[in-house]
Amino acid sequence: MPHLEATRWWPTVLAAVGLAVGVFVLVSAADGGSRTRAAAQAPSTFTPLATYSLAAPHVLSEVLVYSVQGVAGGPNAAPPPETKPFPASVFSRPIAAYRAYALRQLRLMEGELPLLQSALAANDRIAAKAAWRIAMSDYLRLGAVYLDGETALDAQVARLNQRIDGTPGGLPGGVADPGFTGLHRIEYGLWTSKPPSALVHIAGALDADVHRLAKVLPIAPVEPLEYATRTHEILEDAARGFLSGADVPWSQEGVLATNAGVEATEELISTLRPVLGGLERVVPAVDTEMRTLRSAIRGLAAAHGGSLPSNGQLTHRQSEMLDAALGGALEALSNVPGVLETEAPPAVPQIPKADFRTNPIDP
Amino acid sequence: MSPLDRRSFLTRSGLLFGAGAVGGVGALVHERNQADAAPADSTQPSAVVQWRVSRGELADRIPFSVEGHQAGILNPAPAQATFAALDSFARDQTVLREALKALSVRARELTVGGATALLETDAPPADSGILGPVNEPDALTVTIAFGASLFDGRYGLSSQRPKELVKMPTFPVDDLDPAQTHGDLLLQICAHQRDTVAHTLRELLRAVRGSFQLRWNIDGFSGAQRGPTPHNHPRNLFAFRDGTANPPTDDEGLMNELVWAGQGEPAWAEGGTYQVVRIIRQHVEFWDRVGLTEQQNMIGRVRSTGAPLGGSDEFEDPRYDLDPDGKRIPLDAHIRLANPRTAHTADQRFLRRGFNYTRGFDDTGQLDQGLVFVAFNQSPERQFATVQKRLNEEPMIDYITPVGGGYFFVPPGVRGGAEWVGSGLFPA
Repeated sequence: MPHLEATRWWPTVLAAVGLAVGVFVLVSAADGGSRTRAAAQAPSTFTPLATYSLAAPHVLSEVLVYSVQGVAGGPNAAPPPETKPFPASVFSRPIAAYRAYALRQLRLMEGELPLLQSALAANDRIAAKAAWRIAMSDYLRLGAVYLDGETALDAQVARLNQRIDGTPGGLPGGVADPGFTGLHRIEYGLWTSKPPSALVHIAGALDADVHRLAKVLPIAPVEPLEYATRTHEILEDAARGFLSGADVPWSQEGVLATNAGVEATEELISTLRPVLGGLERVVPAVDTEMRTLRSAIRGLAAAHGGSLPSNGQLTHRQSEMLDAALGGALEALSNVPGVLETEAPPAVPQIPKADFRTNPIDP
Repeated sequence: MSPLDRRSFLTRSGLLFGAGAVGGVGALVHERNQADAAPADSTQPSAVVQWRVSRGELADRIPFSVEGHQAGILNPAPAQATFAALDSFARDQTVLREALKALSVRARELTVGGATALLETDAPPADSGILGPVNEPDALTVTIAFGASLFDGRYGLSSQRPKELVKMPTFPVDDLDPAQTHGDLLLQICAHQRDTVAHTLRELLRAVRGSFQLRWNIDGFSGAQRGPTPHNHPRNLFAFRDGTANPPTDDEGLMNELVWAGQGEPAWAEGGTYQVVRIIRQHVEFWDRVGLTEQQNMIGRVRSTGAPLGGSDEFEDPRYDLDPDGKRIPLDAHIRLANPRTAHTADQRFLRRGFNYTRGFDDTGQLDQGLVFVAFNQSPERQFATVQKRLNEEPMIDYITPVGGGYFFVPPGVRGGAEWVGSGLFPA
């Protein structure tokens, strides 16, 4: 951004402070919406929503944004410059740490699956449900094994994930489809009064699939941006799939599943902490909101005799509180992928003026 | 609870009405006046009160049918709408015919407007009266459409089924709720004002009570015209302008190619059109947590102006010919998949006339907002379904969930006073 434009912008932004104190207070209270790279010296007692470092060094090298409504230079002004991207190499260590974590989780799950198998074989529904809860949590603590299958290894991971954690939604035969396997097939059997012993072979296949996954997951490729995106998408899925019950349709163990998602997210954040270290306006917000979410879930367990309640056991007030905490965490987490970019978005090429036309086929 | 004694109820209400003038109601009015510190003479309107609704808009009248087509298709979408799918419980074909006739006649009457009929005061009023003693037309349109299930064996109509009218298939991105999907009949009611729409639905249901029962209903609204020019389209709830690439409705030849059904259809259906309705939930909280660049790349347009990426004007040609590799507009961007703008895909275009909806929130505290997508097309297979299949791979699918809707056929409009919508199905 040229010098002149930046200096024009500065007073406009300052002027916005007075106009938008209300908006500012709302937004800054949650400490959300902020992204910054450099330490900022605020010209007033207000904390800016964001600080943007300009790419070209000159007198005013930083622009502070105080208001959601603050329009700098009119509605057609160019957006603030992108923050400087990270080199992809800074993600090597976090991703390696995550892989080690994922492998530990899968080993843990392998160690616990025999409990599920023996409870099923003994036709002990109560013990089997308890063992299923443990296995489900173990798996969800991996944190979104949602690879898109672009490479052969990806495809293998995606296939195994479908076998372990797939729901019958996309299958032609629904719950009766032979392709409906794994944790949710067992969930369906246990919570719909089918004889538990009929599920033993499903649990056996699950065990084998987890074993296979443990071989490929730690070597499957993970793109830095995708890794950064997971930090909020794991809990986006929880909000949509678990607390609604859509992805745990029979057990309604949405709180348990969300709790596992929280643990997975915390693991990701902790691996990324060295990279996020300098981003003092992102990290404290994430930490605060995640702490609130964790304590909300702990509070629910305490209110339900020490174990996590199912969706249906939540009172209206408890649901609201959990939704509020999850929403707060998601808003804070949504700033993480943006600041962890490894490349600046390429400038959009413009359609040359000489080539301007309204479409002859489709005006 | 004892059953309501109808006769004593009537007597009591008569008494209360008489007494109210003297004591009961009068006392209430008095108290309210005191509380509001209203002027003693409440018949004098305050000088500062302005009309919030233009008299001209309320007087807008759109003909029930024009040139053999029903209204509510080519005319621009007004601010308010409701979509109501009904199932038929008519005993036989005769009862069905009478119900359809009553529906069409009443709908036409409401679009014309006028004073409501006065009956004896001990009879329930002929009109609910919520718009006052005179129903102003308010640009009301009622578009009546039939679902595939109306042509099953029940009414001997199976040989009259429009050739492409089937139950809407489930597309891979769908999570259809049967309680919001399909139906024997669809009413699309549009007007400037919400109360006109609410009144119309209520009156029409009353006209067919016992024969047709509500299956699902959803209210829609258009974004206000916020410019910069009256040509610029309003926005959907993802904040992008919607409807930019619609084929121009004043091009009669194009409408004959893209909208009106004819060739190969049963004679009664000529001049009708297939209406595809999709209730598409938009996960707006999730959307709002996505970077602007990513949002724009998913759509293929600039959010503020509505111009194709790299352009400056909403109506600018995206010039895919200059961008074969998707460097400017990604190859999987919504606008590029929906309408690749090639000669080969030109006959796949259709006329969209959707409305935004917002209806509270779900069990997890997330807003239930989205789009009542409406497409009018000549052939759903050649047009809507072909485009929808291309959209299965678009990145935007993570942010939306189609939950309902259906395929319907809009019969041709009425010509002359003796016809009614669907009368062609029942030769005299």
